[in-house]
Amino acid sequence: MTSSQSHRLASGGLIDRSASLNFRFDGRTFSGFQGDTLASALIANGVKLVGRSFKYHRPRGILTAGSEEPNALVELRTGARREPNTKATTAELYEGLEAASQNRWPSLRHDVMSVNQLFAPIFVAGFYYKTFMWPAKFWEAIYEPAIRRAAGLGRAAGVADPDHYDKAWAHCDVLIAGSGPAGLVAALAAGRSGARVILCEEDFALGGRLLSDGGTIDGVPAAEWLSRTLTELAAMPDVRIMTRTTLFGVYDGGTYGAIERVNDHLPSPPEHQVRQRLWRIVAKRCVVAAGALERPIVFAGNDTPGVMMASAMRTYVARYAAAPAKRIALFTNNEDGWRTVETALGAGLQIAAVIDARPDVSAAYRSLASKGGFPVLHGSVSGVDGGKDGVRKIAVSLAGGARAEVEADGLAVSGGWNPAVGLTSYHRGRPKWRDDIAAFVPDGAPPGMVAAGAANGDFGLGACLSQGFAAGVAAARDAGHSGKAGTAPVADDEAFSLTPLWHVTGKGKAFVDYQHDVTASDIELAQREGFESVEHLKRYTTLGMATDQGKTSNVAGLAIMAAVSGRSIPETGTTIYRPPYVPVAIGAFAGHHRDETFHATRLTPSHHWAMEQGAVFVDTGLWKRAQWYPRAGEKDWLESVTREVKAVRGGVGFCDVSTLGKIDVHGPDAGAFLDRVYINTFSNLAVGKARYGLMLREDGIVYDDGTTSRLAEDHYFLTTTTAKAGLVMQHLEFCRQVLFPELDVQLTSVSDQWAQFSIAGPKTRELLKEIVDPAEDLSNEGFPFMGAREVALRGGIKARLFRISFSGEMAFEISVPARLGDAMARNLMLAGAPFGVTPYGTEALGVMRVEKGHVAGPELSGTTTAADLGLGKMMSAKKDYIGRVMAGREALVAPDRQVVVGIKPTDKARRLRSGAHIIPKGQTPGPGNDQGYVTSVCFSPTSDQWIGLGLVERGRERIGEIVHAHDPLRGEDYDVELCNPVFYDPDGGRQRG
Amino acid sequence: MRIVCPFCGERELGEFTYLGDAKPVRPVAGASEDEVFDYVYLRDNVAGETSEHWYHGGGCRAWLKVARNTLTHEISAVEPAAGAGARQAVK
Amino acid sequence: MADFSWGSRSPLEHALVAGAHGARGTEAGVSLTEIRDFDLIQVMARRGQAAELAKAAKARFGVAAPNAPKAVQTSDAILIWSGPDQFFVLSKGGKHTMQTLAPALSGPASLSDQSHARALINIAGSKARIMLAKLSSIDLHPEVFPIGSAAATSMDHTSVTLWRGDDRPDGQAVFSLLVFATFAESLWHTMLDAAAEYGVEISHSEELA
Repeated sequence: MTSSQSHRLASGGLIDRSASLNFRFDGRTFSGFQGDTLASALIANGVKLVGRSFKYHRPRGILTAGSEEPNALVELRTGARREPNTKATTAELYEGLEAASQNRWPSLRHDVMSVNQLFAPIFVAGFYYKTFMWPAKFWEAIYEPAIRRAAGLGRAAGVADPDHYDKAWAHCDVLIAGSGPAGLVAALAAGRSGARVILCEEDFALGGRLLSDGGTIDGVPAAEWLSRTLTELAAMPDVRIMTRTTLFGVYDGGTYGAIERVNDHLPSPPEHQVRQRLWRIVAKRCVVAAGALERPIVFAGNDTPGVMMASAMRTYVARYAAAPAKRIALFTNNEDGWRTVETALGAGLQIAAVIDARPDVSAAYRSLASKGGFPVLHGSVSGVDGGKDGVRKIAVSLAGGARAEVEADGLAVSGGWNPAVGLTSYHRGRPKWRDDIAAFVPDGAPPGMVAAGAANGDFGLGACLSQGFAAGVAAARDAGHSGKAGTAPVADDEAFSLTPLWHVTGKGKAFVDYQHDVTASDIELAQREGFESVEHLKRYTTLGMATDQGKTSNVAGLAIMAAVSGRSIPETGTTIYRPPYVPVAIGAFAGHHRDETFHATRLTPSHHWAMEQGAVFVDTGLWKRAQWYPRAGEKDWLESVTREVKAVRGGVGFCDVSTLGKIDVHGPDAGAFLDRVYINTFSNLAVGKARYGLMLREDGIVYDDGTTSRLAEDHYFLTTTTAKAGLVMQHLEFCRQVLFPELDVQLTSVSDQWAQFSIAGPKTRELLKEIVDPAEDLSNEGFPFMGAREVALRGGIKARLFRISFSGEMAFEISVPARLGDAMARNLMLAGAPFGVTPYGTEALGVMRVEKGHVAGPELSGTTTAADLGLGKMMSAKKDYIGRVMAGREALVAPDRQVVVGIKPTDKARRLRSGAHIIPKGQTPGPGNDQGYVTSVCFSPTSDQWIGLGLVERGRERIGEIVHAHDPLRGEDYDVELCNPVFYDPDGGRQRG
Repeated sequence: MRIVCPFCGERELGEFTYLGDAKPVRPVAGASEDEVFDYVYLRDNVAGETSEHWYHGGGCRAWLKVARNTLTHEISAVEPAAGAGARQAVK
Repeated sequence: MADFSWGSRSPLEHALVAGAHGARGTEAGVSLTEIRDFDLIQVMARRGQAAELAKAAKARFGVAAPNAPKAVQTSDAILIWSGPDQFFVLSKGGKHTMQTLAPALSGPASLSDQSHARALINIAGSKARIMLAKLSSIDLHPEVFPIGSAAATSMDHTSVTLWRGDDRPDGQAVFSLLVFATFAESLWHTMLDAAAEYGVEISHSEELA
């Protein structure tokens, strides 16, 4: 059943009455119209109670009509798309919308936690700090879980967000925030000047306050001027208007963040479309025309449903044709509040009274009151009688001290206006105080940014138009465009005439920060307790720390603080402003980068062949690498890996090692260059030979290793580890461009140019003979260990062949141009078929390198020296190289350093674990006798037990010693023997054979 | 933040990698341990104008010297490293 | 003796499915065309030899090689700026390979074969720019990035070379993209994701233009 829209006005508004929309709130079905927000539709249906407050669970209604809303937060949608803390005031109505109120149980009308109000005296400022201090052990077990249950607002969906988000860049000369009169004329002026313009408007409709307040511009009604202006802007190809888009942050160098709610106004995004898009906008100039926010006055009962900002009330009446109340009272301290009376009377609503805190009211409004037949009371509201169902009666303290009562079902409040100084204050700009409007205005805005109109503290329509236009012309000119802009539209300025009033003292709770339930007395208490800095006040009371970031509350909080501390408001100052201006979903920041596409991935040239083979892949950095190739019947990875190792050691296997970084080092000084970056010498390497090289950091610690081959006098082919490929390239470019610019050397990454395979095992040569042109001599004499040269393959292909071994076996690495990598893998299978060739993955590769005692990532840990790795002899004494001097420091050559050693459990059946600490046998483990740790482990099929490498104090002098492995993480303690790290073929006969 | 690469033009921060202070000069071969120690470890903690090494690794792969104000993040000058591109440098 | 075949396989062979992708119903807003089997040589001037390289390149190609972020069309190749004092020679059919370029350029320059190190994708269509704005941080407005512009930049944290060749006969801009081969499939998927809402027409071609 659909209710009747009891509070919908018979005519008017910018809603489409022909498009009726059904929606549900807390399980009840209502209807509204296209053009409504959830808030305006609820108001049209007479709904006043929309939520419960954070701390005291007090009933709350709708306070504003914009993104500053502190109260009307709902859970929007259901299931995986449920989004908590959605502002009803900005959520666009759509057919089938479902929303639920938050922070109540079992229902909004009967909320058990509202008993918190009875305990209000204990929920004061600093309540958490004071109450849950002792005993400390209660914190984790009792306090925190209880607080977590009671606190918080909406519930997260709890399941993955099914929608897509993306991110995009945009560029312009002039970026404009806001499409009110100032923003629109700024766009007009900049666009006519020839500038590229982007205008962001967070609303779905353009026009800002014009949509609610109307007025006359250039002699025509605002609506007509608006439509004319939008037509002109739409015809400018380099002016881009983005609705539903909030500019939320300002970053260095003219970069701005904006969030576009692309499809939030639909139940779910259409296929292939995103829900929201995060924009990074690069702009030469920015005009902030974000307007101003009306501020409440703090008085007892000011949070009663039905108490609403005066401007919001006229927005609901004028823009949405929805009456928040039928008999309205106004409490104002300025002339602008009275416009709500005009709007309400125009819509046929009753005015109960105007309570004006100023001594004087303008003659025009005085006559409006007498014509409308309602009293003007000089005084302030001191209390509100009402509750869940709204306002009933308003208590007024009159200027002379007398009291009065006003019967009304709605109270409009205007405490003045605060320019939206968020964007202009994001580079630690501190807004400055302006006495005439009793508000902070922008000062020290980020470079290239100006505020115009209400955002600059000039609220009159005429001022907005002239300032906005001038700002648009100036911004375009500064960006290099000075075409004919014409003249600024003209309008009158309305009177404002404000007498500051922040807080009406009285009995009962008077709220400053509605969303965080911070009251005036909390601020007073904080001041009494010594929290006088506004930054402390904010954190102690949590004022302004809710999702609305204190948009309606901060200035009132400062004013109360100033009053109780006897300082002026500007002396009290503001807190630092930081983005984002509105909450932005994490999903929007992630964009495309989630789940499988969390980061870019790299695939080896044989990747899809390996997929066909059923390989299991592992992420190594950005790469997907084949980890092992399971076969039918194998029960676990260990069985597969063990088979692969045995197949290589007993026959032949191959592995894609294309992930190694590969760098072409060219130029007449290539050899001299490598001599400076490696600890060993490369200038004397013969063409056609490869050599293992080790690089240090300048502080003497090992950086990277790999083999480098000399392919021509002036051409070396350098390889890096997979992990460091990009970093080594960067380091070498630094050496080339910054450290050694005198050397004539050129560097190019060829990592992606070559598909490279390691072929290993005693039958390697037999396999190669099948595939390499018979004219090539692969014998030990014709192609000795560490040889490197180009060879012809059968079928007319050229490949590079390197006789290097990581496994300890007779081995070659072969590389072919990458697009032939897939064919290479298939051809190796063909060529090796007679010898039972076995593809192996990174696990088997790792097992064989541990068996052979080769160091890798776990040993090149950023703490080890060349000598620690057993490679100290490679350090040339005859030349300068990076890290040479620092590597000689006393502590880096100390005899008791932890060095690489082999480790095996004394119990052959025991599994060795990396990370286990090495302790002298018979001692109780502790930091005093920790002598190192196990770095790499594997099950060695060759040794038929678990073996490993470790970094152990004086390890090489202690071969044969039994020590203790202590593994508190896994709760294991066992004896291990320190041994030669080369478990397999220590003389190296196999790889040289 | 945006850096004007002298070769590519203005680009966003994500294309660049920061290294650090560009003032220390690598000591010549044969320098003492103290000199090298200072080069490796000693840095001024400047509040104001600094000279920094940045790498345009997401672009043209040039190393750059960037004059940046640590208080405002304002970049006042960007120049290529002595050996960027084929620039001839004699030591 | 086994019979070896050496079929060339593009890094996008698996991911590229020719035809329509994403939103349907209207004309595809984005067309993606992979160009396969090209020759790509990186030419880097040796120290102090930039002027000599320029002379040698002019003699070899008949036009000046770019010394700023530009792409230059020659009679049978495209010369694309790839960094200070270096450029790519992109061609088809073995006209400009290591073997043919070395005699002309290897004095003042170092040459590195990158033919297999990249995938080449042409991007066009009425929504090409708005789609690229999701991937690229650089400004592709026609006045800022006119025909012949090039950029060494990044997309999706991946280094790419991007340039704008001649417009299509229908006036649509064409953006060409060289991406590292091992990143190609990943960037391709990202690109399809970005383009899906506009409708995509996917194809591959053996022709450069």
